[in-house]
Amino acid sequence: MKIAVTGKGGAGKSTISGALARHLARMGHDVVAIDADPNPNLGISLGVDRHLVETMRPILNSLLDAGHTHNDPTPPADDLLANYGIDAPGGVRLVATGKIERPSGSCLCCGSHNTTRQFFGDLPAADRVVLADLEAGLGDLVWARPGPQDVVLAVTEGSAKSVEIARRACRLAEEMGVTRIIGVANRAISDADVARISGELGVETLSVPEDPAIEKADQQGVAAFDADPTSPAIVAVGELAHRLMSSSAGST
Amino acid sequence: MTRQASPGEQWLVETLERRQAGLDDLEARAADALGWLAVERQATSLLRHLSTWTASAWYEAVAPELARHQAHLEEKLRRAATELSAFDAVTLASAQRRLGARLALMGKGGAGKTVITSTLARLLGRRGHPVLAVDLDSNPGLAISLGLPPTDAGLPSEAVRQHAGASYGWALAEGLRPADVVDRWATPGPDNVRFLGLGKIGGLDKAHTRRSIGALLYVLLNFDDPGWHVIADMEAGPSTPFERYHAFADDVIVVVGPAWRSAMTARRLLPMVGDGRRTRIVANRCGDEPDHPGLSPAVRIPFDPAVAEAERRGLSPLDACPDSPTIAAIEQLAELFLDQEVPA
Repeated sequence: MKIAVTGKGGAGKSTISGALARHLARMGHDVVAIDADPNPNLGISLGVDRHLVETMRPILNSLLDAGHTHNDPTPPADDLLANYGIDAPGGVRLVATGKIERPSGSCLCCGSHNTTRQFFGDLPAADRVVLADLEAGLGDLVWARPGPQDVVLAVTEGSAKSVEIARRACRLAEEMGVTRIIGVANRAISDADVARISGELGVETLSVPEDPAIEKADQQGVAAFDADPTSPAIVAVGELAHRLMSSSAGST
Repeated sequence: MTRQASPGEQWLVETLERRQAGLDDLEARAADALGWLAVERQATSLLRHLSTWTASAWYEAVAPELARHQAHLEEKLRRAATELSAFDAVTLASAQRRLGARLALMGKGGAGKTVITSTLARLLGRRGHPVLAVDLDSNPGLAISLGLPPTDAGLPSEAVRQHAGASYGWALAEGLRPADVVDRWATPGPDNVRFLGLGKIGGLDKAHTRRSIGALLYVLLNFDDPGWHVIADMEAGPSTPFERYHAFADDVIVVVGPAWRSAMTARRLLPMVGDGRRTRIVANRCGDEPDHPGLSPAVRIPFDPAVAEAERRGLSPLDACPDSPTIAAIEQLAELFLDQEVPA
């Protein structure tokens, strides 16, 4: 199974992705977490040491360090995962696609976006879960190109702007032929809030409640999954994990 | 030995010539201290931007043209300095205060760039200068926070044209000046603010955004009216600083929230701001937590649930909760841009 997690900046993509990956791993799945943000930070929500997250070398940067050029063939995805991934807690394998380190005159398309597309597309996912935490906004969803067999999670918090981006992500995913599109109403403060968001998104929508434990973990740069595993938001993401896997085994 | 100029290099030379003409025009109109300050600032800004290309091997086939352009800009800068030296200190200081800011805001997604950009734009507008507020984010937001209807509008077809060497193949239409673009297509908002958007992702590719971006960045870099503030909200994270969307800016604000990853993002953004710009950290959504180490904020903007509620309802915080402590702190931030000198 491949899952692409998308949404506006600050919606909580990384928080949801990190906790979801940990839950899925705990359920016994082999999980690969891809950090597709050119400002990689998914590791924090996975429970990786924050200083390691700040310094880890993504695939693209590592290849460039090694003298790789545009003309060289890209190594197989599983080799990249073995060489440039790191082991996160709970048995999750984390890999980042590319990190922007300095301004340049060139465009990004040839770099981090392409790496995301290739890597998300090529990594075999028959016996494992590949979960990609995408860059804020819709651009990366276009680059990752999830297909009909993949899952798209559109994460939003309550602001009108965030909901609008998630709504667009849902329509874009439909246009791409994705059949399993799930909305995540993150930091939800009321049932009415969730109903409003669900109505706007027009897809099955689960909610993750506003939770001070997440805020506290975020401030410290640690994973709420480790710091406060029974907090309401982490429990809700656990329910999302079960929902994803149970319906994938069924006929939907 | 020198290879033939590529379409991108030919386009650059064309662009430089057009910018030069714009600067010549600005100089011809300079009649007072404010006018010469505008020339000085525009020449400084264009020189700063020129160094991007002179440092790149991609543009070596047009190196002589770049050198000629640089010499011309340096000449303009000397002329402006000479003219300015004729004014007394009081006149100069008064003109400085009337010179609008050129400001870009960057930061991690969710840090609060858009709330700050929109509120700052409106507060500056209330002080009398017209303000051009530009949404450089391909996801909607700034219009809503300004109190305008949500919009996808980028520049209309007649404002852009295809050109092989231009950014994504599109550029500002022939004969249009940046001031014409602002005049015709910037949506009037509250408090003396005019809004221009990037155009949003319309379908399976970024075609809409890509048609507008080259033209819009050109407008930002070359809109030289000294009486206007220009303030741009950038897309979350490092992608657009990487592509130097903030090239026009004399001032950069890096917005940082309480989360550790927000501080990490700020540490990654700071080296991308580039030389010759004043950079300030602004801490947003502050509670009683200590400042992030090494990121000392110029202003601390407190968290206020009323602002979050305005955001949920898609309202401009300045309309929904004008007495919020968040707004009061952004007032403090506005003060910083009302009386300052152009960076040397």
